[in-house]
Amino acid sequence: MAKKKKLTTYQQRQNRQGYLFMMPWIIGFVIFTAIPFIATIYLSFTEVRQTVLGFQITFTGLDNYIMAFFENVEFVPAMIAFLGMIIPYTFVIVILSFVLAYLLNKITFLRGLLRTIYFLPVIIMSGPVMYQLIDSSTYAAQMDTFLEFSDIFIVQMVATYSRPFARVLIDIFEQLSIILWFTGIPIILFINGLQKINPNLYEAAQIDSANSWQIIWKITIPIIKPLVLVVTIFTIANLGTFSINPVYDLIKKATENTSGGLGIAATFSWIYSFVVLIIIGIAFIIFRNREKVRRHY
Amino acid sequence: MKAKLTRIIRARKFATFMKLCIYFVLICVSFVYLEPILKMISMAFMSTKDVIDPSVDWLPKSPSINNLKVAGTVLDLKKTLVNSIWFSALLACAQTVVSALTGFALSRYEFKFKRIWIIMIIMAFIIPVPLLMIPRLMMFISAQNLLGFNFIGTPIPQILMALFGQGVNSTILILIFYNFFNLIPYSLDEAAMIDGASPKQIFFQIAMKLSATTVLVVFLFSFVWNWNETYVTGTLVRNSIELLPAKLNMFDSAFQTYAAAGRGNAEFRINEAYKMSATLISITPLLLLYSFVQKRFIQGIENTGITGE
Repeated sequence: MAKKKKLTTYQQRQNRQGYLFMMPWIIGFVIFTAIPFIATIYLSFTEVRQTVLGFQITFTGLDNYIMAFFENVEFVPAMIAFLGMIIPYTFVIVILSFVLAYLLNKITFLRGLLRTIYFLPVIIMSGPVMYQLIDSSTYAAQMDTFLEFSDIFIVQMVATYSRPFARVLIDIFEQLSIILWFTGIPIILFINGLQKINPNLYEAAQIDSANSWQIIWKITIPIIKPLVLVVTIFTIANLGTFSINPVYDLIKKATENTSGGLGIAATFSWIYSFVVLIIIGIAFIIFRNREKVRRHY
Repeated sequence: MKAKLTRIIRARKFATFMKLCIYFVLICVSFVYLEPILKMISMAFMSTKDVIDPSVDWLPKSPSINNLKVAGTVLDLKKTLVNSIWFSALLACAQTVVSALTGFALSRYEFKFKRIWIIMIIMAFIIPVPLLMIPRLMMFISAQNLLGFNFIGTPIPQILMALFGQGVNSTILILIFYNFFNLIPYSLDEAAMIDGASPKQIFFQIAMKLSATTVLVVFLFSFVWNWNETYVTGTLVRNSIELLPAKLNMFDSAFQTYAAAGRGNAEFRINEAYKMSATLISITPLLLLYSFVQKRFIQGIENTGITGE
């Protein structure tokens, strides 16, 4: 009986001390993340006016949403541009970073140097820097790239099927440097994951006379699959936070408009976030491990 | 026997050939990574003549550091650099402290709803920042009206957010600490507890003393991310503290006012060379930092343990 009592007090102590250490984060999360998250949903249905006395919030129903989708000429194109950017970019980033990590894992000489180069963009990448670089490298050339690329046979082939798809393809090749700049952290994660695969598995497969192609598809990729999910989610979140993102500009402009802009900004950002969360949800469904529940970290 | 030997030799040759191919591909790709940076460096040293000259592609014919000087004055380098450094360092300190505390709690205690909090920590990373910025902004404006004390335009809101674990990429910093603390054997804590150490003492005397390098890694990451962060800073601080990346963002207009105030001659117009010089200046501090501690950065990400084990 006494033993049982002691056990509960230990648990209580664990609770108390654990929460004591967690306290700052929990307070911050509630004040700066949870409450704003809910507040934005509410604000998106209102009109907010900043007055001398404070904020005047009037409920306007779906007006903001109607405005965003049907009246505002900037929002829907910006959203489409954002989707046209984030979906192909995420695919390319995840696949390229896996391939590069796989190759980096195969070599020993120069490996550190190459890894350092691949990681470098993580350090220097910021909105303004990206803006300047994209601006300088492509703005002038952007107008006639389609013509320039249309000499290439594959592009022609794709373009006959669907022109927008060819456009996306050209975009990817044009912005390859910038896309590659997002692969810094994913590569490190993939290398780390690849190194954790038990070499005995490869050996066993080799003894059973599997070639390296089969080994990749039957061993490496199934094991690395949960990590693909992590990388995909990370990439989507990371791509979203960059100010090359056209929606950010709109939201920021609306935020700065103090006479009634905040409600609209809330609507914009809520629609935007909803779309991002849906994309993440889709990624989760695609890469989820169906056999067992995956741990989250 | 001989046939087997030749087969082995051929296989070896094939393997070396494949290795060379891998090196070729990786080095080519690394050029693609560096191309914008190299281009930027070459552009930064070009004189106005070189920028117009179509025969100049990589190496400037008449290199000058005039661009860098002009860009430096337009960026107001001395002031913005100092501002950026203390601003990022301050936020980085706050973030490091709270990440260490949270990571320690997650790693050492089995408290109720721990899994839910871990999920919440990950959610905090996934939720897009603009969604949260508007209520946050309203909160701070209301608070400043209530207290009669200016928040917007000072670093206070961001310091508060960083101090309570809601700064840039806090989730990753917490995970770095969490996984590092997991590596410290729990028996050390137990030994200390038997000797009567309080949780506070365990945290400071054991966990913190063993994790000096991790603290450094987290601090550096946080520093770099805060340095590069412009959206939250732009919303909360606006232009009252001039920071280097924010200044770079408005470089075009800043340059125009500078040019209008200074010399009025026609050739003194904005061009790529000035822009690239400004960009180069703004990333140089980070490049220097990276060149000294790049190993730590990479290890830091490896240690987040989000690779799952």
